Amino acid sequence: MGLEQYEDQMLRCFHCQLCLAVCPVYLEDLMETCSARARLGLIHAAFVEGSLPISQRLREVLDRCLLCTRCAQSCPVGIPLDDIFAAARRLVREREKPQTTADEMASAMKQRRLYGLMKKSVSPPEDSQQREEAIHHSPGEPFEERIRDLPAPPAFTRSRVAYYVGCSTNSLYPETGEAVLRVMSRNGIQVVVPEGLVCCGMPAFASGDLDTMVEMLRTNLSILAEQDVDAIITDCTSCGMVLKTKMVQMFSMDNELRHQAEAVSGKIWEATDYLNHMGLTSEPSPLSEPYTYHVPCHAGWSVSVKNAPRKLLQEIPQSRLTEMTSPEICCGAGALFFTEHGELSERIRSHKIEAILETGVKTVVTQCPFCRSYLAAALDKVTVMHPLSFLAKSYGE
Amino acid sequence: MTAIAQDLCQFLDRQKVWTDPEDLYAYAADAIQYFARGKPDAVVLPHTAEEVSKVLRYASKQRIPVTPRGAGTGLSAGCTPIQGGIVLDMKRMNRILEINRGNMTARVESGAVLGLFQDMVESMGLFYPPDPQSQEVSTLGGNVSTRAGGPRGVKYGTTAHYVLGLEVVLPDGEIINTGGSCVKQSVGYDLTHLLTGAEGTLGVITKVNLRLLPLPPIHRTAVIVCESLDQAAQLVSEIIARGTVPAKLEFITAAGIQLMNATISPPLMTEGEAYLLTELDGSLAQVEEDTQKLRELCGKMKAMDLRIIEEEEEAQTYWKARINLAPSILRLFKKMVIEDVTVPRDRIPDFVRALQNISSSLGMIIGIGGHAGDGNMHPTIVFPEVNETEEKKAAEAIERIVKTGLELGGTLSGEHGIGLHKAPFLAWELGDAQVALLKRIKKAFDPLGIMNPGKIWPEGGAA
Repeated sequence: MGLEQYEDQMLRCFHCQLCLAVCPVYLEDLMETCSARARLGLIHAAFVEGSLPISQRLREVLDRCLLCTRCAQSCPVGIPLDDIFAAARRLVREREKPQTTADEMASAMKQRRLYGLMKKSVSPPEDSQQREEAIHHSPGEPFEERIRDLPAPPAFTRSRVAYYVGCSTNSLYPETGEAVLRVMSRNGIQVVVPEGLVCCGMPAFASGDLDTMVEMLRTNLSILAEQDVDAIITDCTSCGMVLKTKMVQMFSMDNELRHQAEAVSGKIWEATDYLNHMGLTSEPSPLSEPYTYHVPCHAGWSVSVKNAPRKLLQEIPQSRLTEMTSPEICCGAGALFFTEHGELSERIRSHKIEAILETGVKTVVTQCPFCRSYLAAALDKVTVMHPLSFLAKSYGE
Repeated sequence: MTAIAQDLCQFLDRQKVWTDPEDLYAYAADAIQYFARGKPDAVVLPHTAEEVSKVLRYASKQRIPVTPRGAGTGLSAGCTPIQGGIVLDMKRMNRILEINRGNMTARVESGAVLGLFQDMVESMGLFYPPDPQSQEVSTLGGNVSTRAGGPRGVKYGTTAHYVLGLEVVLPDGEIINTGGSCVKQSVGYDLTHLLTGAEGTLGVITKVNLRLLPLPPIHRTAVIVCESLDQAAQLVSEIIARGTVPAKLEFITAAGIQLMNATISPPLMTEGEAYLLTELDGSLAQVEEDTQKLRELCGKMKAMDLRIIEEEEEAQTYWKARINLAPSILRLFKKMVIEDVTVPRDRIPDFVRALQNISSSLGMIIGIGGHAGDGNMHPTIVFPEVNETEEKKAAEAIERIVKTGLELGGTLSGEHGIGLHKAPFLAWELGDAQVALLKRIKKAFDPLGIMNPGKIWPEGGAA
């Protein structure tokens, strides 16, 4: 997780510039300094060679990145660009101990995720109206409180899964959690919700607070490793990305937790992908309401996850998917990026909103809760929901 | 703020002028950054030809070097500001101004991205064939300046074959329009095609008029599996000789396929030593006929297999893998040098044998894989380690590859341009008299020698 482990890979950038074609920040700025390729080079110059100082401009360039991972997904050499950017942010952080919203949030989540925290912290406190506009969420109790009235285990059970409930589902979208439980149960999948889980660590990763992230991973690992289940599911693509692709590498080869992390990460499934894997046993009712699918950037850890909602919702009779132009373009939220780079995020989002409105549909499905809330805040008569909420709807749930 | 930035901000918005060390660092090189870097003194991002003109007037007055830049994906250090000065990043001038179906032409700003332009024309049933493998990001201005091409070169030629007219800002700030949008022109010296491929040494291209074709209705991708490099090379010559003109005909070794298998889905078995990845296009009848001819030829020459990729989605993964192939070599090696020597198609078997000899006599790996259909083989020297011995061997290999290519009647560059990388060899191909003439032409355009100095011939650009 230190920058030194990436030194060899950093030198393998061919300067092919293919990352420029997918970087949402570069595509707005149209300036190479703000591209993944240049950022990588600057990190090498500043932190490895020491040929550039850690200047204000360098910090800007490091911060001006959504960690959407699209550069890493498209890099022909396979350079783990997002990991390198996070490691560099950690080095800056160690020098300065900045206190951003994202930092406050990461440290609060380390204790225990708190209901309402996100709602309070994601927008400027001095302007309550702006805050309401900035973040969209469902009212009511957090998922943890609602969970008591859960459906009974299915009559016949094909598999047993642990449900890793992310912070956003818990705090902002408890109805997503309910949809997950109902849909799984209907399809013979028994769900247990382990107690004591904390944030996956993605916000800490984004602010370069890798030590906090590791702490969170340890807590989660110790709980998840004990579950006697066939799979561990998550409805959030970012939680999935961390648990599937980042957790293992956060523990060094000689760390005893490494094996445990490998075993747990092998069981991680994104929820819609898992349902495709298992197949639906309960046939959905026809639902002809047209919808479009926004592919969350953090679904990119697997081609199958990217396409999973499309495949799953096709099972609904009369299902009508209307693809938008460039469904894989970033929405601009970048977890909490939009709280610090409002104007840039809004520009990125505007293309996405245009593409959604062009389809003429009234429903957008997407797994990522940040995409959901950030898109919903800019859409008037269009509903944004998790694909499993859409499926639950066809079940009449 | 540096002095040069202060000057530039007299007539340009501050958001268009950057002089922080980080910004200068970001614009120091192209895709052979190990070979040459040069820190500019300022990066300017113009939005109009008039702004370019003002910058050039200022630079002329102050005798400051100016290096135009597209996407920085070049493979000859053509846009590297080795003498400092101003880098003109043209990528904000990215509008597609007109697509004229009645005349089958288009007019674009020079910073327009090739891939986005192609998507647009193809959505209208039109076709702009040149396909340098940087097409997702490279700019049309950069393509014109290097005569960029790619796999489709075998049937459709390179960028130069599609340029009908240019808007160019000359070093003194004058804006001229060469050529036009007529598909035939015969009006004195052809300045359009002199500025095409000039690598920004004569002026700054700001707009381009391009010729379009109708989009062929059918595309079919096929892979020919060959038991040896020699067999594959023979097949290329035979395919051309028999009058079949595939849209693409790529020569790839088993090692190349192994790298491409990261993208090819489902992956291709690597049972042969060499592969020809081809695309046939045209009417259904034409494609069927070409497929049949290919099948007969493969049978006659005992190719191991001819695999037609029926699924469009699967075929796309082959061409995406081809785009990724060159950079992905750095998954395995620490450095590479991609050569661009091109030979007549009937000499490909000789060239491949010569490359194998050079490779074994120097004891180094030279990857072979390129647009074989047009003789552009892209021999690629790879470094397991970067040290003085390897560098020396690589330098010798490059010289021998260039000499061999020229002896076979070939040329230094098929599509990358000369830049800095090939400049030492320019006179080998052109001779002293031609180089002297080039210098006089340069002087006529750029008497002060401010445009992209140091390129095309050694110490080039100085007028």
